[in-house]
Amino acid sequence: MRKAWLMAGACLALAGCNMAAGDTASETKSGDGTDAIELAEFPDRPYWGDTHLHTDVSIDAFGFGVRLGPEDALKFARGDEVTATTGTKAQLARPLDFLVISDHSDGMGATRRLYDSPRMLVRDPTLRRWRDMMHESPEQSQRAVAELITAAANGDLPAALRDQARQAKATHDLWNKHLAVLDRYNEPGKFTAFAGFEWTLMPDGNNLHRVVMFRDGSAKTSQVVPFPGIDMKVEQLWDYMEAYEKDTGGQVLAIPHNSNLSNGIMFELVGPDGGPMTAEYARRRAAREPIVEATQIKGDSETHPFLSPNDEFASFGVAGWELGNLPLTHKSTDDMRAGSYVRSALLRGLTLEAQLGVNPYAFGLIGSTDSHTALATADEDNFFGKHTGTEPGPERAMESQNLGTRVGRFGWHYLAGGYAAAWARGNTRAEIWDAFKRRETYATTGPRMVLRLFAGFDFTAGDWGGDWVRAGYSRGVPMGGELTDSGKAPVFLISALKDPDGANLDRVQVVKGWVDASGKAQERVYDVAWSDMNGKRARAGGKIPPVGDTVNRSEATYENTIGAAELRATWTDPDYRRGQRAFYYVRVLEIPTPRWPLFDAKRFGVALSREVIENSVAQERAYSSPVWLRPARENRVGDAPPIMEGT
Amino acid sequence: MIRSLLREPLVHFLLAGAAIYLGLTWFGDPVDPASRTIVLADEDRAGIALGFERTTGRPPTDAEMAGLVDRWVREEVLYREALRLGLDQGDPVVRRRMATKMDELASAAAETATVDDATLEAWLKDNPQRFAEEGTVSFDQRYFASESAARSAMGQANPAGSPISLPARAEDMQLREIREVFGQQFTEGLARLEPASDWQGPVASGFGWHIIRLTSREAGELPPLAQIRERVEADWRNATIAERREQAYQLLREAYRVETE
Repeated sequence: MRKAWLMAGACLALAGCNMAAGDTASETKSGDGTDAIELAEFPDRPYWGDTHLHTDVSIDAFGFGVRLGPEDALKFARGDEVTATTGTKAQLARPLDFLVISDHSDGMGATRRLYDSPRMLVRDPTLRRWRDMMHESPEQSQRAVAELITAAANGDLPAALRDQARQAKATHDLWNKHLAVLDRYNEPGKFTAFAGFEWTLMPDGNNLHRVVMFRDGSAKTSQVVPFPGIDMKVEQLWDYMEAYEKDTGGQVLAIPHNSNLSNGIMFELVGPDGGPMTAEYARRRAAREPIVEATQIKGDSETHPFLSPNDEFASFGVAGWELGNLPLTHKSTDDMRAGSYVRSALLRGLTLEAQLGVNPYAFGLIGSTDSHTALATADEDNFFGKHTGTEPGPERAMESQNLGTRVGRFGWHYLAGGYAAAWARGNTRAEIWDAFKRRETYATTGPRMVLRLFAGFDFTAGDWGGDWVRAGYSRGVPMGGELTDSGKAPVFLISALKDPDGANLDRVQVVKGWVDASGKAQERVYDVAWSDMNGKRARAGGKIPPVGDTVNRSEATYENTIGAAELRATWTDPDYRRGQRAFYYVRVLEIPTPRWPLFDAKRFGVALSREVIENSVAQERAYSSPVWLRPARENRVGDAPPIMEGT
Repeated sequence: MIRSLLREPLVHFLLAGAAIYLGLTWFGDPVDPASRTIVLADEDRAGIALGFERTTGRPPTDAEMAGLVDRWVREEVLYREALRLGLDQGDPVVRRRMATKMDELASAAAETATVDDATLEAWLKDNPQRFAEEGTVSFDQRYFASESAARSAMGQANPAGSPISLPARAEDMQLREIREVFGQQFTEGLARLEPASDWQGPVASGFGWHIIRLTSREAGELPPLAQIRERVEADWRNATIAERREQAYQLLREAYRVETE
């Protein structure tokens, strides 16, 4: 036995020597891809990706049972077939163009290490119990993680998991190994692998999570380790990001997400300490967080029926998630909604800009999955679940979800997930990251419709006859851009092309938000193009007749006999007022299609409950990043009327 | 051959094992598995301090450093005592962890080794399908909402088609890109056409119907190594890591006989 130990010791020592040599990476090999490929003149197509994916390195994902690591995640995203943790083969119908693996920085690899620790050495009784539960069975393992999330939410994680220095060495080794893998899978022009992590701040269980996304390769990213979130403040994350940029010459941004689970604190009107928001805070937030993830598996954060009572499509992905924060330690109330949803945040941004001279919430939009299975799936017919406990199986749609709770949320509340589309000139780290930085991105709930938006002052319907993309870039700004008020109403060129392998389009809408003369925030949804708009669906009494429904519930199929292949609009804001501060974003709706529970029912031959069936058809959608219209003369601080909310 | 064998970590491992075995046999009594002297080298201290700095963005204070060292020593003492007590025995986790380390050991050299062009040339030659550029197609297409409209436009010299935000002309477009832009159905329809100067079709797509003038189709070429060296190297490394693990396992596996009772 003792001999065996010495053998093992020799083995570890040798392994140690060999691994140490791999720490360095050259800038050319591990860079951002600049000059690596030929670039298009303009961003010529959307590149598709997921910026929010967890693997067995994440403390909760591992506990939930996933045994696929970053390498499997990268292979899967680029289109390879892999075997999911539960044993089924998994493959994307269409590969993704880029991926950010965003494992939690807190306790990065800690559950794996806890699981791997000899029992006697785990001295903390709570940790030891979790360790035992993880070994006992997959169900117990999931329960352990639910307890862990609740403990994190309540601020009583065992000291060992909060101890930064202790975690740092382990994190450093893991991170450097991970960065080397990312560099090996990053192929400029074909597939982009970004370094990133999830920063998991969760005061009182209310979600303030961010995904941190680096532009650079390992030569720069290896100079830091992922920054812990628990017990931190968001300004400290920004400090970390600023230090990274200063020390390495690299670039990094952060993407807030699941504002729908924040109980109103993701997009506050006040500063983080409860006092008035400072211009400095607003400036830093705008600079560090140019993008927000608006839709993912844990619900959609565009808007809520309470905030947008006149928006008949406002309830997508709201059910279940609106009840409270993730662990349901605090329920949500209507007065919290405005701080929890993206549209109201964009409105608050206008109001705060009038007050502070800078808009903290001038962000673009993306979708992602937040899958904890290492599998970036977002298609309804290929949904691999939120975590390993909800990988495909006959009962998952109707099961209660014990994600820190026992009431209120069920399998069918999960959306199949969203994707991020980035308008870029090529597929490299630099090009796609820069598209995020300038907000030339849009969110979809999974389908890959192609959405173009240009805003200017002199576009006409005649532009469609020529090279309108060139016209768009030369005489206007794309999504994510800003216009300065010139005394004329802004004109928009909007084109929505259906997913070539997906459903037809119902309609294209412009969502406008503005601050009126009395300082009150207002919103309005304009239907600007829809299928058969001059025929059977002509506007009647201000309303557009519904597109119809071709979904066969028992077969999980639909027909493209309704809807349109492409919808275009040349739209001039009819309610423009000089000096108005406004934003405009586009929402595209597909015709109704089956949601994942219907595909499950068909595949496994199970009968769904009436409640699930009633919620199993939806209109998938896309949200563009907004274009902002800013007054020609910026108000000075103190110029604006006091803050009032329209909602 | 000998040279590469000497670089092989598995060989190091076997040699080290043999040396230890010989040592133990030579000196008779087995030595204590863990000595009672804990040496905290300068590198260890530097490592501990660096870990702290990487997380917090500043070096530890003296008091913090003292605390970190105490914790490190505590862990080391408990670790050695655990070994002395044989706590590693019968623990499925230790078993699994050690197995993982063996895998990592087997592939460690492949993760960092520098690789020469000859190896990569050979790799490129043996796996052309992984590196050959996809075939490209050049074509004009016109879009129609209905099959009959598409059919009646076929005879025209310059058919106009209906407006749609798809490229009317595709110049040397890769198959993967065609699939992404035009969809699966269109790509399959396009594959059935042969280059010709006339309009062909109609071909169905997720959008409707298309008539196509297919001007050229080029098979994908294998680029020279210099052009795609990084990709080839990454692929070689990924595959070599997997292969080393499997080889090391098979080598060890051969020495065992598994009996099922």
